[in-house]
Amino acid sequence: MKRKIPATLVALALCLATALSAGAQTKGLVDVELWALQAVTEAGPPPADWVGYQIIRDKLGINLKLVLQPSSFTDQDTKISVSAASNSLPDLFGVNRDMLMKIARQGLVAPVDNLLPLMPIRTRTHYSDAGRNRLVTLQGKMYGLPDPGAMDRVEGVVIRKDWLDKLGLPVPKTLDDLYKVAQAFTTKDPDGNGKDDTYGFGAFFESSGLSSAGFGRRFDYILGAFGVPGVWNFESAAKFQFNFRDPAFRDAVEFIKKVNAEKIIDPSWSAPNKDEFRARWKQGKFGIMWEQFAALATKANYKDFDANFPNGEWIAINPPTGPKGYSSNGLDIAQARIYAVSQKAVKAGKGPAIAKLLEWMATDEGYYLCGFGVEGVNYKKDAKGFITMDGISPDNAYTAKAMQPLTQLRNMVYINNDIELAVRYPTYKSANGKLMDPLAFWKFFKNSPYTEATGAGFIDPPTNVNDFKRFYEENLLKFALGQTELNDKTWGDFVKGMDALGAKDIEKTAKAKLVDAGLL
Amino acid sequence: MRKIKSGDEFVFQIVMNGILALVLALMILPLWRVFILSVTPFKYIDSSFGLFVNPLRWTSEAYAQFLSHPSFLHAFRNSLIIMFGGLAINLFMTVPMAYALSVRSLPGRRALNFVAMVPYLFNPGLIPSYLVVTGLGLQDNLLAVMIPGAIGVANMFIMRNFFMEIPMDFMEAARIDGASELFILFRVVLPLSVPIMLTIGLFYAVGHWNEFFTPILYLNDANLQPLPVLLRNILMGLNTNEYVEYDTFSQVSIQSLKAASIFITMLPMMMVYPWIQKHFVKGSLAGGIKG
Repeated sequence: MKRKIPATLVALALCLATALSAGAQTKGLVDVELWALQAVTEAGPPPADWVGYQIIRDKLGINLKLVLQPSSFTDQDTKISVSAASNSLPDLFGVNRDMLMKIARQGLVAPVDNLLPLMPIRTRTHYSDAGRNRLVTLQGKMYGLPDPGAMDRVEGVVIRKDWLDKLGLPVPKTLDDLYKVAQAFTTKDPDGNGKDDTYGFGAFFESSGLSSAGFGRRFDYILGAFGVPGVWNFESAAKFQFNFRDPAFRDAVEFIKKVNAEKIIDPSWSAPNKDEFRARWKQGKFGIMWEQFAALATKANYKDFDANFPNGEWIAINPPTGPKGYSSNGLDIAQARIYAVSQKAVKAGKGPAIAKLLEWMATDEGYYLCGFGVEGVNYKKDAKGFITMDGISPDNAYTAKAMQPLTQLRNMVYINNDIELAVRYPTYKSANGKLMDPLAFWKFFKNSPYTEATGAGFIDPPTNVNDFKRFYEENLLKFALGQTELNDKTWGDFVKGMDALGAKDIEKTAKAKLVDAGLL
Repeated sequence: MRKIKSGDEFVFQIVMNGILALVLALMILPLWRVFILSVTPFKYIDSSFGLFVNPLRWTSEAYAQFLSHPSFLHAFRNSLIIMFGGLAINLFMTVPMAYALSVRSLPGRRALNFVAMVPYLFNPGLIPSYLVVTGLGLQDNLLAVMIPGAIGVANMFIMRNFFMEIPMDFMEAARIDGASELFILFRVVLPLSVPIMLTIGLFYAVGHWNEFFTPILYLNDANLQPLPVLLRNILMGLNTNEYVEYDTFSQVSIQSLKAASIFITMLPMMMVYPWIQKHFVKGSLAGGIKG
């Protein structure tokens, strides 16, 4: 036994020595460590023999060390916070705006304005949107590189057209019309199964940050009909305030309360369960909802509904017009996938190399390689430059499970152009032979009324945001569910409670910041 | 079988067994519900708290999807390495320290006990730990997950207390026979300490099996990530895949996949418990008597 203990110690020491030797520099090349935001969280990184590494080494003189960030924002923040606190941020890293602003103020990330002239193509394709650039600007300097984020205006109101047809109802245009349709969907057996098992509206209590507090985004089209979508009124500096101060907001709450009391909304709406909500529309439980176009209409997401209701059909409709003529699908907030360059990297003289890498990604070579893999192996291009899989083995297609690691950097090159959209959201035939075009839903939503609310992304949450949000949401929910009577006194108490939690101070601070940023 | 002596005791037994049955149900029902959800085809999934689905309708597709995922075996292997490697390091470090502190004649024993308590009472925090681990060059090395928690102070004290309960006569007799302290530890103390070794070993093993935070902090190389990180990534992917063009798990419902992931993670540990339950109860109680 005595002999085994020193042997174990030696083994441990050897492991440590091996680990210590792992950080060696590559001679003649600039080492760039990139912490990328994953495109497919479960797919893993590109393999060590990925052709991209070789090209980046040979053509750019860069030894790229690629690290995929954790899949959730919280975990990403933790990882970045810890490495920032220990002054070991990577050279280039994906980061959310709040964290970026925090570490920029600490002097840990470098301004990138002087890197932009080094990457003219990428600046034109990625960094020329003033709204997005504002997201990363602090005291007149850009501290981040805002890649085009998720597509904008992707959600909207959809309705079961087959149910409308069966009941002989026209497409609703006003909130009143929609209400009547919801009543009919609930009481007139629109699916014809002889059971009283359908509802008009479907939703769930979806709330994430302060900007979507309250009933959450699934109800924005109802609040929008009253002119009060979201939490804030961004109409002008003079009118800037919390929407709950507007009498129309109470009217909207009254409407939701009425809908709930008459049981023309799926009763599961008050639970924050997205999976449940999506399972229920696929099971034909309700006929009116606010949904994201891809979650509704891409083949993978539509298949269950299609199997259950081969003749079912959802159509996009404009958000209903309210009593005073307002109409909105929700908030239009500028989004970006932000990358930042650490001050440490700039001090080490890596700025030009980082710019060179990003510029290469914006060239045709980098764009197609990172976005779609190797031409002829993982995809082909047709005469118009569009991606096609004709003649590509299904196992090698860039969308195949085994090939997904090859395009983990695709969110650094994608710009939501027609080439990408055509392959990301292809048309297909439904069970009854109908042509399904997911992008048609998006195009409809994109052209429907939205409420400009870029400022929502700039408002810093108060320190008591959790208490604030909880009080706000619990009270709205109690009003809507009828657990608290809705009258002048109770509403006044609610507003007083919000003020006691600092609502007025939050408004004042937010307004000053938005005016300063030119967003009001 | 023990005889019930009086009416009062009978009532007490009934009440106690009723309470225990209730507690058991509270544990079992959610677990059973998760299992049922993991084997239920989409069209039978309902919002009600369904506990039964006709076994003829069960599908193992969710499990098949996970197990056939290219990264699954890799992550599973990493988890096993972390669990067994970490456990070996834990026991290798904890047992000698616990034994040394259990020897009443150890010079400076009180001071050493106090020193051992310091990191238990005053946690240095995340950033100093990060600096130490990265300073040692352990980033992207599975040892970064195994070494920092090599000695769990609470576990060490439980083990020390257990050792202290072993009659001194055994150790004294061995010493009179000329045995060294290491000999006494390995040949006298440890054979008498199987319950505590299994108990503490299980505590450590469960901790390592569930390692999630330290891997995402220290293991940048995705090939080193253990199972909890992969499952988390898959679940995150399930959420975001709703918004993208292709869906890795398009054949199975999200609810079933989430439920299956919970079961897959729990299963190895659930299989271990019954085997060591006898020792586990004894070990966890015996070590906790003395302070």
